Amino acid sequence: MFLHILNYVFTEHTFGIIILLQGEKMMEDRIIFHIDANSAFLSWSAVNALQHGAPVDFREVPSIVGGNQATRHGIVLAKSIPAKKYGIQTGEPIIQARQKCPSLLVIPPEYYVYMRCNAAMCDIVKDFSDRIQVFSIDEVFVDYTGMEKILGDAQAVAHQIKDRIKNELGFTVSVGISSNKLLAKMASDLKKPDAVTTLYRDEIEEKMWVLPVRDLYMVGAATEKKLAKMGIYSIGDLANSEVEFLKDKLMSWGEVIWCFANGIEDSPVKPGGAIPYVKGVGNSCTIHFDVEDRETAHKVLLSLVETVGMRLRQGAFCAKLVQVSVKTSELKTYSHQRKFYVPTDCTNAIFEEACRLFDEVWKGEPIRHLGVRVSELCGNDFVQLSLLENNYEKQRQVDRAVDDIRIKFGSFSVFRAGFLHSRLSPLQGGIVEDFPAMTSIL
Amino acid sequence: MKVYMKPVKMVAWFTENGVPTPVRFQMKEDDKEFLTIKVGNISERKEEKLAGNRMLIYRCQSEIEGTEKVYELKYEIGTCKWYLYKI
Ligand SMILES: [Mg+2]
Repeated sequence: MFLHILNYVFTEHTFGIIILLQGEKMMEDRIIFHIDANSAFLSWSAVNALQHGAPVDFREVPSIVGGNQATRHGIVLAKSIPAKKYGIQTGEPIIQARQKCPSLLVIPPEYYVYMRCNAAMCDIVKDFSDRIQVFSIDEVFVDYTGMEKILGDAQAVAHQIKDRIKNELGFTVSVGISSNKLLAKMASDLKKPDAVTTLYRDEIEEKMWVLPVRDLYMVGAATEKKLAKMGIYSIGDLANSEVEFLKDKLMSWGEVIWCFANGIEDSPVKPGGAIPYVKGVGNSCTIHFDVEDRETAHKVLLSLVETVGMRLRQGAFCAKLVQVSVKTSELKTYSHQRKFYVPTDCTNAIFEEACRLFDEVWKGEPIRHLGVRVSELCGNDFVQLSLLENNYEKQRQVDRAVDDIRIKFGSFSVFRAGFLHSRLSPLQGGIVEDFPAMTSIL
Repeated sequence: MKVYMKPVKMVAWFTENGVPTPVRFQMKEDDKEFLTIKVGNISERKEEKLAGNRMLIYRCQSEIEGTEKVYELKYEIGTCKWYLYKI
């Protein structure tokens, strides 16, 4: 609209100056929204069902969205508020959840509904800014900087967005407002459902520092434990620690989380973001002999994960959910899945989890076919800044180097030593599920 | 009116601009014959976009089996299906 034209003129004529100004202004003066759909999968399925005449609103009864009831190892992907009252948790096995609440309603995932809801949510948001980044299927970042001169106060507009989504699309969102993406994301988490919360730099102390350190985005169980040993329990404790001390204990990861605790983060809102259009990356293979030992099975998993990891990284995604599926020589199939607390794109991290899942589910029968699949994708924006728990940082560098070599010299130019003299292929081709047109991007 | 929400067979006319108006539909309850209903007065039209799915809703009145009844029809744009939504 009006602003686009204006922007263009400016950059045409005073390009250098604008860049300079923005560089200086960037950190403090931006206005960023993070819009997060509340219990997205569950409420989206609920609204869709109501629209098609369902007699109950899933949001008002104990209900969960859970992967595939046929395979008994499905886990809870999302839960209603009444289900939460039974102590049901996201990520726990469905059987366990059913024990807590026998009348539990289990709704299968409906990805086409989720994608439609995501697109509809973005359509509304686009009326308020042209700079939006789809971060995951239920999260959008919006750069509202400059728009306040045309559309008005950020908080009032955030309320408008939230209310329009509620009235037109039938589900609620939480909106966080701040001067960077990380704080906006933390803010949307502070109050839900159906809320607008600000978390500007001068509000950090009062609103964020009081929270346990585990609530800081990207801090998982392993980091939490290490921090506890240093006497750091709250986000405030972390923010007020000596950064040199943290670097000494946790290397560069220490500095990253110290910055986060102090609200320092300056990644731009990247328009586009193809995340919701790909629901997952999967890879599976039929093995030309029956696998009867754990070690060989793990090797096959590694060959599958190698490609999955590479595809994830090429798409600039991280995954929150891993699933392993096994088909025995008698064609019995079962699968097992688990959620990562912190999203990852690291081959070794996915591989370790895949092995753990395999070990838990395999009963020792000869195996004919194995599959690994990651889903619940989100952007890798915060991960990229450095990474991760368990010193995955080095492994990430290795991942990147290996990816580069393979892209340049071919898939088989470098492979893990474990595959030398084995009957197995060191990596198996990856498939991007459901949306073949996307393979060119991934 | 109660939510009924069953698909129906429909004859509708569309304007040059793609605006549909229901004309006549057939419904069938489990053990009964097909019932053909001529759509009478349409008192209200609205559009909804719940969960991002566009549907047109028509509030209509017709004589059904001897009595005048108010009911609502729904047209799901994405699937081109008509439903008797409420009766
Ligand atoms: Mg959400």
